[in-house]
Amino acid sequence: MVTCARTPLADSRVFEVQRFGPLMLLAAASMLAVTPSAMEAQQTNERWVMPRTADGHPDLQGSWSNATMTPLVRPPGVGAVLTPDQVAALEGGQQDFIREQLADSDPDRGLPPVGGEFTGNFLFDAGGGAVGGYNFFYIDGGDDIAVFNGEARSSLIVDPTDGRRPPLSEEGRRRTGERFASQRQFGAYDNPENRPLEERCIMSFGSNGGPPMLPNYFYNNNYTIVQTADYVMIMTEMVHDTRIIRLGTPDPLPAHIRPWLGDSWGRWQGDTLVVETTNIHPEQNLAGYPPAAFKPSENIKVTERFTRADEHTINYEFTVDDPSMLSGPFSGELPFKALDGLVYEYACHEGNYALANVLMGARAQEREGVSNQPDTR
Amino acid sequence: MNSRVSRSPRPLLGSAVICALAAAAFLPATVQAQSGSVPRLADGHPDINGIWQALGNAHWDIEPHTARAALAMQPGPVVPVPRQEIVAFGAVGSVPSGNGIVVGGEIPYLPAALTMRNENRENWLDRDPEIKCYLPGVPRANYMPYPFQVFQSESKVFFVYEYAGAVRDIYLVDPGPAQVDTWMGQSVGRWDGDVFVVEAAGFNGSAWLDRSGNHFSASLKVTERYTMTGPDHMLYEATLEDPNTFSRPWTISLPLYRHVAENARLGQFKCVEFVEELMYGHLRKNPVGR
Amino acid sequence: MRKIYTTLTLGALALVVATIPLMAHHAFGAEFDKDAPLRLEGQIVKLEWVNPHSWIHLEIEAEDGSTEVWMVEGGTPNVLLRRGLTRDCLAPGTVLIVDGYQAKDHSLKRANGRDVTFTDGTKMFMGSSGTGAPGDAERLAARQARGRC
Repeated sequence: MVTCARTPLADSRVFEVQRFGPLMLLAAASMLAVTPSAMEAQQTNERWVMPRTADGHPDLQGSWSNATMTPLVRPPGVGAVLTPDQVAALEGGQQDFIREQLADSDPDRGLPPVGGEFTGNFLFDAGGGAVGGYNFFYIDGGDDIAVFNGEARSSLIVDPTDGRRPPLSEEGRRRTGERFASQRQFGAYDNPENRPLEERCIMSFGSNGGPPMLPNYFYNNNYTIVQTADYVMIMTEMVHDTRIIRLGTPDPLPAHIRPWLGDSWGRWQGDTLVVETTNIHPEQNLAGYPPAAFKPSENIKVTERFTRADEHTINYEFTVDDPSMLSGPFSGELPFKALDGLVYEYACHEGNYALANVLMGARAQEREGVSNQPDTR
Repeated sequence: MNSRVSRSPRPLLGSAVICALAAAAFLPATVQAQSGSVPRLADGHPDINGIWQALGNAHWDIEPHTARAALAMQPGPVVPVPRQEIVAFGAVGSVPSGNGIVVGGEIPYLPAALTMRNENRENWLDRDPEIKCYLPGVPRANYMPYPFQVFQSESKVFFVYEYAGAVRDIYLVDPGPAQVDTWMGQSVGRWDGDVFVVEAAGFNGSAWLDRSGNHFSASLKVTERYTMTGPDHMLYEATLEDPNTFSRPWTISLPLYRHVAENARLGQFKCVEFVEELMYGHLRKNPVGR
Repeated sequence: MRKIYTTLTLGALALVVATIPLMAHHAFGAEFDKDAPLRLEGQIVKLEWVNPHSWIHLEIEAEDGSTEVWMVEGGTPNVLLRRGLTRDCLAPGTVLIVDGYQAKDHSLKRANGRDVTFTDGTKMFMGSSGTGAPGDAERLAARQARGRC
């Protein structure tokens, strides 16, 4: 065995000295360049010190949830910031509903009604349909209004200032019209490709993966972030999809290569991680435009900003700019809160009885000449 | 900017590299990393960040094997021939030879488990989870013919696999036994000197070890050792224990190679949509050409 | 007055939330037949804690004394795991009552678990999904003492 003159310890010490000189300057510069919102957070949490990784940047690592009751788009007749009474009413109403759903049932209950039945909770009914889905204890859509920089928000969208999405552009309407016309040649249950991405276990509901990364209002709105000198990796619980954000000068993919979650490049601007994403897959669901009206064009650019606000919070801001599809960009803000618990494996495709059941059901009803479900996608 | 993190202390590399290369010439398979040429993080641990991939043909069969026409065969007039589903692939559907990665050559199956392995081979097309784009399990994920990327910070280690977008969060703090069994199991990692040791358990037993029907049960425990043997090479060893399947623990050993191209990046292989015709084609309103 | 306000505002918020693709969550109506309601009572023979939906296999005794196994669909186990699901929850042999609807393909013995309870009517799972209201902790402790989660 050859013994080398240099020990690993000696090398690593030299390595550290080489790196820490310039890093100390960088860390100092970062502290001076703290953004206003982070400053406020630091002032209100006086004892909290921004955790930093070895290279001096804020530490965004861990598991986070963006679950919330606050919708993406502002409801009519409501201001941008909710009053404490409004928050109490909304959150209280949700607690009432949960309590109702967890209450004991009649053990001698008979069959549920022919034709189905709804609970009255629009969201829960949207998920379960007339057959009632399954028990509410499986639902974890967020029972709190989103608080961003101390404000209880009525919508995640903050710009346009009415909290609503800009309409599709003329080009956007044309493209969407073409896509819908193409889809209309099929019935909703004709082929697996006619089913939603989430039912096929290709992506999560709505825009969990994004970008922008938005809550789905049902469950598993969780993410794991790992941060190295050259990358920030964000994994979405559903469907274990990862965004590998390369730090540095962008070297974008060719235009025809469009990964599902796009191609992301990041840089630190003081204590804020700024991420720009292009090349998003043409079929990816984004930002909940109904009904799947907004699919990203080849010209989309999504910009995100991550700022650690306190021990339990990352402030997340996003701007969606798709000049081919939208009449203007829109921006939003929402908090990512530290997850109490683990992110678990979501092996969706491996356990996907449901897609087969749906297709088998449609074929069975065709054979019987029956059709008793709404023709929705 | 280089795709891999340049963290080795370059000005000192000269003598250290010569040292390491000389040492490597004498390295048996299990020797620890040599000093000097292994990049390190600020906390002193070897830096295993990067895009890694196995070479060779372990993914076809982890035991030593000769080349053959296909994995699924049928009787032919003179010798067995590939099954109908595979004939059209020609040489693309053939199995290349491999030296194997099993230390000692053979997997020590219990008799019933060996029978199961052979049945798996007879029924490869129906049973191999890779065909349906199911998650690959451990250790198969590490020697699939696709790269994987390691993200290592001072507080977290996370593996992302190109194949099917599989992931493993290697917990550095043990959360306790897994309460549910999964395809990729639950992994807990720690540093043992310069070796990253991972203990994985909580498997559902549904994954395979390769395309040749080698299998395990939900009782499997895997102990992995990741040892950098140079800036661009890592020795991967895994010991498998499963009293329901094997008569004793046994080990696989193979090198992992770093992707060094300037623009190296993990590609996307979300194959679920690629297998829809295979799995659901018969349920279409109008099945395709059957 | 407060209740009406709550409903109005919650309704308004919910309406907007609903514009996020409803079809985002797969259409249960597409899988199960709203005109084929059923009630099952049987013992657990198998638990599949899988995604996207879990499946509980119940052995039901038919009128002629023969047994058949039905699969009852639940939600994502990941939520239950974070709420305290363990391997000890719901031992084989535990009797459950299910009301729901049969799969549209009536040749399949599959149903959605619209409401799954024990034979005393209490919910199959509570875990820490309680509201934090007074009595929740005691209720959960009483359940856990009976081997329920």
